[in-house]
Amino acid sequence: MTQGERVRPGIGELLGSPADDRRIAFEGAQGISPWQARFILLKGTNPLFRRGRLGKLLRYPRWVATSQHQRNDMGPSSNSSSLEAALRDVVGSDQVLTRPEELFVYEADGLTHHSARPRAVILPATTEEVARVVKACRKHEVPFVPRGAGTGLSGGALALADGVIIECARMNRILRVDPGDRFAVVQPGVVNADLSKAVLQHGLFYAPDPSSQQACTLGGNVAENSGGPHTLKYGTTTNHVLALELVLPDGNVVRLGSPTGWPAGYDLVGAVVGSEGTLGIVTEATVRLTPIPERTETLLGIFPDVVSACRAVGAIIRSGLVPAAMEIVDRRTIEAVEASVYAAGLPTDAGAVLIMELDGPAVAVGVQAERTQALALAEGAREVQVARDEEERQRFWRARKGAFGAMGRLAPDLYVNDAVVPRRKLPEILEAVCAIGDKHGLRLSNVFHAGDGNLHPNISFDRRDADELARVLKAGKEILQLCVEAGGVISGEHGIGTEKRDYMGLLFSDDDLDAMKKLRAAFDPTLTCNPGKLFPTTRFCYEANPKARGYDQVPLG
Amino acid sequence: MSVLDALSRELGEARVGSSPGMDGRVRPGSGEELAAALRVLAAGGASAVVRGSGSWDALGHPMPRARILLETTGLLGEVQVDGEDGVAHLPAGASVSSLGEHVRKETGGAWELPFDPASSSSTLGGCLATASPGFRFGHPRDVVLGLEIALATGERVRCGGRVVKNVTGYDLAKLYVGSLGTLGVIEAAWIRLLPAPEKTECWWVPLADPSQAVEPARLPSARAAAWLSAGLAREIPKPGAGMILELAGDAPAVAADAEFLGRQYAADPTDPAGLGLVRAMRGKDPGVRVRVSARPSKLKESIAGLSNAGAEILAQPARGLVWAFASDEAVVEVAGSAGDGFLVEAAPLAVRESRELFGENPALRPLQAALKAQYDPAGTLNPGRFAGRI
Repeated sequence: MTQGERVRPGIGELLGSPADDRRIAFEGAQGISPWQARFILLKGTNPLFRRGRLGKLLRYPRWVATSQHQRNDMGPSSNSSSLEAALRDVVGSDQVLTRPEELFVYEADGLTHHSARPRAVILPATTEEVARVVKACRKHEVPFVPRGAGTGLSGGALALADGVIIECARMNRILRVDPGDRFAVVQPGVVNADLSKAVLQHGLFYAPDPSSQQACTLGGNVAENSGGPHTLKYGTTTNHVLALELVLPDGNVVRLGSPTGWPAGYDLVGAVVGSEGTLGIVTEATVRLTPIPERTETLLGIFPDVVSACRAVGAIIRSGLVPAAMEIVDRRTIEAVEASVYAAGLPTDAGAVLIMELDGPAVAVGVQAERTQALALAEGAREVQVARDEEERQRFWRARKGAFGAMGRLAPDLYVNDAVVPRRKLPEILEAVCAIGDKHGLRLSNVFHAGDGNLHPNISFDRRDADELARVLKAGKEILQLCVEAGGVISGEHGIGTEKRDYMGLLFSDDDLDAMKKLRAAFDPTLTCNPGKLFPTTRFCYEANPKARGYDQVPLG
Repeated sequence: MSVLDALSRELGEARVGSSPGMDGRVRPGSGEELAAALRVLAAGGASAVVRGSGSWDALGHPMPRARILLETTGLLGEVQVDGEDGVAHLPAGASVSSLGEHVRKETGGAWELPFDPASSSSTLGGCLATASPGFRFGHPRDVVLGLEIALATGERVRCGGRVVKNVTGYDLAKLYVGSLGTLGVIEAAWIRLLPAPEKTECWWVPLADPSQAVEPARLPSARAAAWLSAGLAREIPKPGAGMILELAGDAPAVAADAEFLGRQYAADPTDPAGLGLVRAMRGKDPGVRVRVSARPSKLKESIAGLSNAGAEILAQPARGLVWAFASDEAVVEVAGSAGDGFLVEAAPLAVRESRELFGENPALRPLQAALKAQYDPAGTLNPGRFAGRI
């Protein structure tokens, strides 16, 4: 067994620079599909890119023509023009976007079948500007929504109710790196992978690594409590945030937590992380940095079917091993990846592959890898490959990280579901999930964080086909019901947003939800900060009529 | 009808009794009874001191308004240990030591409960409500997957779940953990277990300078690290200041770190019982006990300041935690500037009445008061105990 060179950010670099990523995605499809085009746009983190390249992307009228957004434009009013003037006064005219072609990119996040056009998009550069923007919005009784790179997958960054988007892309500086005390202070617009690159020279990295880490921002990660493949060992964002600067929904600025992570009062940092931008706007985060482990071993188990791969995951967990990551890619995904620019040389006749990564002290990791390999073989792996070097390790990961991009080949749209089940139930749940996809005649594939029990059933579809869209949503709900009945939850890392707000009742009672609303009320009694997310709104059954969006207009909270 | 009479009628006479210095006590035997008791208290306009085993009675401001003692040691509901998934559902009223033993037994020693409180009688609910840091496992909040809570108004609610990854709704468990029972009463919790280490060893590292303790405390297999000033070191007994370090993990990793300690720091293996003695020091009450958050780079400066105020010191160097034990309240003054925050964990009544015990950002008080008002509008639970006397 060879020792792989340990450079954590290398995983993120598999996709190259964001610009390369965009290029690859362009090349991977015949023209630009709606899903890909929006995803590419959303992945842009540089406002200049967004605005400079927008015209190019808009040359593809098919997407524009098929966009089924909720039209929030209420027409000109004295209230809106007065607000617009106030906002321009705060950030300058060129940082207030109001033209339709400018707003177009902000109509959706990664959940492309939910959309809502914002009244305006504001790009503040400082905490003070954010606070003044928030105060102006409150004065005019206009809701506002914080937004990072827009890579979220639950509609959390949509501006409902004719709201304003406060885009944090210009607040993109790493303010401080303290390698001795192992923390960094960052603005919300810093791209996740950029932080790990910046601290690499100190032998440190930022552990949460969502699949979109080349584009997603730390502010968005905080809002969604983002996870990633290495959550299994390192935890999610909440385990790595020590302190926050927060612009409250009334425009006041507070500092929560401390660089040591031991607050004396209520754990307000813990309450804010994962609150989906409904409790305020994070303008600065102090995050924990983690030492890069001395050694990493990456294994690729090739299984005849996804069920045996799941059984191997259970055996490894039961053994007491704590791998850094355990990720399953199923056959349908392997086929898509191997036919794309992300091809990693995986056997297309495999039922599933299981990526197993172990890291830690050099003297221990080799033995752990051998134990892991033996367990995988005992559970039916026909072969377990061990990465011989960093290049091979990256090849293994390419299949996982490139999966979503590769799926753009299958259909114009991709619905990425997200749920968690107890790990020992993975085999039976995976079989049932696939059966649901088959029942509805859908192209369903699975690529997921098996070590955490975090499923991502992906459904490739074309939203212009109303019948198919309805089946997708119906299958999505059935999958969530299945997971809840198995003792699981309806989101492991994507959040609730608009996508699952009406499914919260599957898991929580009215009293449970009321307890959550008390937290919301303490921070935002007027419900102006990102309204319409997370809590059920509804009188309408979404899946019965996916185009019915009337419920977005009811009072939200 | 008095509140105690109403409690007797609702829960049965066996659940209600007397308590020194209080009007009475109630000890619910289930979540349903807890909720019923809270409804009675709310209806009667009464307030309660929420108490587990009592290890943290001296924490927080006095609560003269609270005349009923609400004991949680009767909350001994369902215990469910899932050794395949490494999670457990545990009742709040049981002692951590008994639960830990149960987990070990149920899983054949494969998993362990990640709490090591100062007192063996500490309840799980108490550990969570105080967010008391042990030596081995870091912040309790990081292992809580879900909670069942009885709110002050008597509703029984839950948050989180039993799975190891979850962003379904607000993470209210973070809010309740460390809230000292001021926002609700914890009934039970889903806890993430940790794999039991293959090998464990204890080492004594003689280090007069606490700043030099950071590096060994950060060794990959270092699970517990406690630096002691000379006065405390004598109690375990060691001749001078130094650090007791527990290494745990895979045998090769422990052996490599032990070899490094011996070579680099002239460290020696020591009796593991020493760590138990140090753990018990956390419950030591010489007069005033203050916990200071001090980042590793400021450790030496922080400890020097506290020592100059007459305190003996116990510190977790890598976690940025310092405990100062002193006979008078002068140490509280120093604690304010000794780190990034402080908490007076124990002090005489007069100090707890006169001083702010929670050294945190005063600008947060309105937000904290708003939270208290939302979750406990009538001030039923531990009124006045928390930061800013909310």
